Amino acid sequence: MKKIMNKLLQLILVLLGITILVFSLLYLIPGDPAVTLLGQDATQEEINRFKEQMGLNDSYIDQLTRYIGGVIQGDLGKSYIQNESVVDIVLSTLPATLELAIVALIIALLIAIPIGILSAVKRATWIDYLGMIFAQIGVSMPVFWLGLLLILGFSIHLNILPSFGRGGSVFEALIKTITTGNLYYIFESLKYLILPALTLGLMSAAFITRMVRAAMLEVLQMDYVRTADAKGVSDSMIIIKHAFRNALIPIVTIIGLQFGNLLGGAIVTETIFAWPGVGRLIITAISQRDFTVVQGGVLVIAFLFAVINLIVDLLYTLINPRIRS
Amino acid sequence: MKDRIKLLFVICVVAVLAACSFSNPEESISSGDEGASYKNEIKVGLDVDATKLDPRLASDSSSKRVTEVVYNGLIRLNANLEAMPDLAESWENPDELTWIFNLRKDVKFHDGEELTAEDVKYTFDTILDPAFQSNSLALFSPITSVEVIDDYKVQFNLSQPYAPLLSYLEIGIVPKHLAEADSESLTTKPVGTGPYKFESWDKNNKIVLTANKEYWNGAPKTDKLVYFIIPDNSTRVASLESGDIDFIHSPLSASDVERMRGNKDFVTEEKEGVGYTYLNFNMKNDKTADLKVRQAISHLIDKETISKAIYRGMDKPAKSPLIPASWAYSDDVPDFEYSPEKAKELLKEAGYEDTNGDGIVEKNGVDLEIELSTHTEDPNRIQVVEYLQNELSKNGIKTSVTTTEWSTFSNNMMEGKYQVALLGWLNLFDPDRATYNQFHSSSGNNYGKYNNPKVDALLEEGRKTNDQAKRQEIYKEIATIVNEEVAYNVLLYQGYVVIHSKKLVGFESSPNGSFFNMVNVQVEN
Repeated sequence: MKKIMNKLLQLILVLLGITILVFSLLYLIPGDPAVTLLGQDATQEEINRFKEQMGLNDSYIDQLTRYIGGVIQGDLGKSYIQNESVVDIVLSTLPATLELAIVALIIALLIAIPIGILSAVKRATWIDYLGMIFAQIGVSMPVFWLGLLLILGFSIHLNILPSFGRGGSVFEALIKTITTGNLYYIFESLKYLILPALTLGLMSAAFITRMVRAAMLEVLQMDYVRTADAKGVSDSMIIIKHAFRNALIPIVTIIGLQFGNLLGGAIVTETIFAWPGVGRLIITAISQRDFTVVQGGVLVIAFLFAVINLIVDLLYTLINPRIRS
Repeated sequence: MKDRIKLLFVICVVAVLAACSFSNPEESISSGDEGASYKNEIKVGLDVDATKLDPRLASDSSSKRVTEVVYNGLIRLNANLEAMPDLAESWENPDELTWIFNLRKDVKFHDGEELTAEDVKYTFDTILDPAFQSNSLALFSPITSVEVIDDYKVQFNLSQPYAPLLSYLEIGIVPKHLAEADSESLTTKPVGTGPYKFESWDKNNKIVLTANKEYWNGAPKTDKLVYFIIPDNSTRVASLESGDIDFIHSPLSASDVERMRGNKDFVTEEKEGVGYTYLNFNMKNDKTADLKVRQAISHLIDKETISKAIYRGMDKPAKSPLIPASWAYSDDVPDFEYSPEKAKELLKEAGYEDTNGDGIVEKNGVDLEIELSTHTEDPNRIQVVEYLQNELSKNGIKTSVTTTEWSTFSNNMMEGKYQVALLGWLNLFDPDRATYNQFHSSSGNNYGKYNNPKVDALLEEGRKTNDQAKRQEIYKEIATIVNEEVAYNVLLYQGYVVIHSKKLVGFESSPNGSFFNMVNVQVEN
C-alpha cells in the first residue's frame, strides 16, 4: 500500500514536470498564434485585440501559474480555434486512440510471443533466422511506407478493406452485436480498424519479438529448466510453464512501454489512415498553433503513459511473488 | 475432465455464433432505391477539418466548403469571378456611396423561418463589430451602416466608393433569430438557406450534409453530401482509387496529379485557381532596394522550368498579380525573360562585377549576397528557393536559403526581416484584393514597403470605379508599373485541380474551389 502511495506521489510530480515543460516549450517556440490564426490579411489592431482577449500579452509566469491552476482543477483551457473546452476536445478523440493502441498491442503480442519463443527454442536454425529477419525489417520499416503499402494492397488492389476513417466505436459495436445478435455491427467497425492497427502493431511486434527471444534464451539456460527436462517434463510444459513465466518480467516491462509508445506514436499512423485520434489532434493543433490543445493532448498522453507504468509496476508483484515481499 | 470443459466451451461459442445473424440493418431500409441508377450519397475527401461553420467566422477552406452549400450570400461569383444574383435578385447603385439590394421573397432558412432584410443587416452588423472578431472585417471596412428599407430591401452605406464590395458579398447570410439567441451555436450547427442542410460533424472524421428538399432554387440531385477528412495527400488519392470516396480537390501533390492524369477511370480537371506564388523583395534592404539588382534577379528566373519540373505543370508560369481566372486579367504586361546575359549586364550597370575572380560579383569590395527565404509547410516552395539559389549562385550572386515554419516566417515578413521571400496570396476574387494590400504604401501587408505615389493613386481609383472595363485598364496599368519596378515577381498562377471518379457526373469546377455546384452532381451506381 505504501508503495502504491509512493508511486502515486511520483506520478503527480511527473505530471507537474510535464505540464511545466510542455507549457514552456510551446511558449518558447517562435511564431505567434495570433498571426497564424487570424491569417495573412489581419491587421495589427486585430492581432493585438486577439492577444489581449486570450491573455497572450501577460508575462510567462502569469500565464504558467494560470495554466497550472487550471490543470489542477481539471480545466485545460479553451481551444483558440474551436472555442471549445480542451478537455472535451481531447476526451472526444481519446477512445479512438485507445482502441487503436489496444488492438495494435493485441496484434503485436499475437505475432511477437509465438515468434519470439520459437526463435529462442529453435536458436540458430532457419526458423530463428526467419524470425529475426522479420524483426529486423519490422523495426527498420517506416510506418508511413508500410501504411501506404497496406492501403495499396488491401484497399486498391484487393478492395476488401477501407483505406481510411473510423467505423464508429468498437466497444459500442460490440454491445450492439451482443444485444441484437447481429455480427454486422462488429465487423463493420473492425473493418476500419484492421489496417491502421496492423500498421502500428507490426512495428511493435518486431520490437517485442526481439525482447521475448532474448528473455527466453536467458531463462532456457537456467539450471531449473535443465532439471525439469531431466525429470521428464514435456518440452511444451517446460517452455510455457517454467521458462516463459519467468521470462515474463522483462517482457511485461517492454509491453508496458510499447503500449505507451503506441498511444503517443500513433501520430503518423493516425494521419495516414485519417484516424480521428489524439495523435492527429495534436498534429493539427501544432500546425494551427492551437497551443492549449497541444498542451492538453500531450498532457493526457503523458498521464496515460505514467498510469500504464504504474500498472506495470504493480503487475510485477503478481507475476513474481518474490517482489511482493 | 479439463478436455471436457474445453469441448463444452467450444460448443457454447459455436452455438452463440450460429445464433448471430449477419445483415446490414440500414440496407433493408433503403432497399426501395435498389432500382435507382444513382447513389444517394456523394463522398468527398478534404485535407483538413473545418474549424468554424459560421460563414462570418469561417476563414479556412474546409469551413468554406461547408458554409457555401449550407448558406447563400447576396451574390454568387461565376466562373469569371463576376457577381451573379443569389439571395439578392437585383441591386442598384444610385450613387457612389450607396448600394441597394432587392432580396428574393421565397427564401426560408432550414428551420422554416423566412429570410428578411433584418437577417442581412444582422449578418453585416456583427461582421463589422470588432468584438465579434470576424476575419472578413477588413474586406467590409468601408461599410458605415446597413439599413433595412423594407422586409426585402436592404441598403449599404459606404464611407468611400468601393467597387470590390460586390465580389465579397458571397458571404453567407445567417438567421438573426438563432444567432442572437445563442451566438456560438452556428459555429458548430450551421442553419442557412442553402441547398444542403447540416446534419452532423464528427470532428476530425466527417461532416454530413443532407439535401434541402425545399430549396428555393430546386432540391439538389443527390440526397447526401459527406466530407471525409483525410489529411495525408497520398491516402486521399488512394481512397479515391479504391472507391471509398468519389471526389477530391486541391491541395494535392504534383506527383499524384501526374499519375492520375493517365488513369482512365478518373477525371482530372485542372484550371487556374484564385491565387499566385511570388517573390517579395524588401525595399528597405540596401541590396534589394536597387532596382537593377531586382531586375537582374528577375532575369535569372526560369518560370517555365519551375512550373514543369517542380509543379509538374499543375501551377502555370505567371506574368503579373492579375490572375487568369479573373475578368481583370491581361496578358499584355511586361515580364522578364530568362536571360543570364541580361542579368549580368544589369548587375554591371548597378556596379557589381567579379573583379577578384572568385565567381561572385562585388561592389566596392563587398560581395553581392542574397538570402532567399520561404516557409517549410510547402515542399514545392522549398524546392523553388533551392532551384533559385542554384541559378543565382551560378550567375555570380552569393545566395543562401532560409526556411522556417509559417508562424515564424510570417512574423519575419511583418517585421521586414528578410531580403527576398517566396510566398503566395489566395482568394483573389477581385483585382483589388490582388493588389491593394500588396502595393499600397499604407498597407500593413506591403511587407517590402514598396512605395509609389502613382500606384497608390491608381489603387484608390480602382476601388472607386464601378465600371468593369475602366477598372480593367486601371489594374493593367498597376500591374505594368509593379512589374517594371519589380515590387513583386509573380512566379506562378496557382492551379486548382479536381479529381473524381468517372461515375461522378455533373460537376463543373469553379476557380475559387467552391462546391456550390455539388447540387447538380450525381454518382452512378
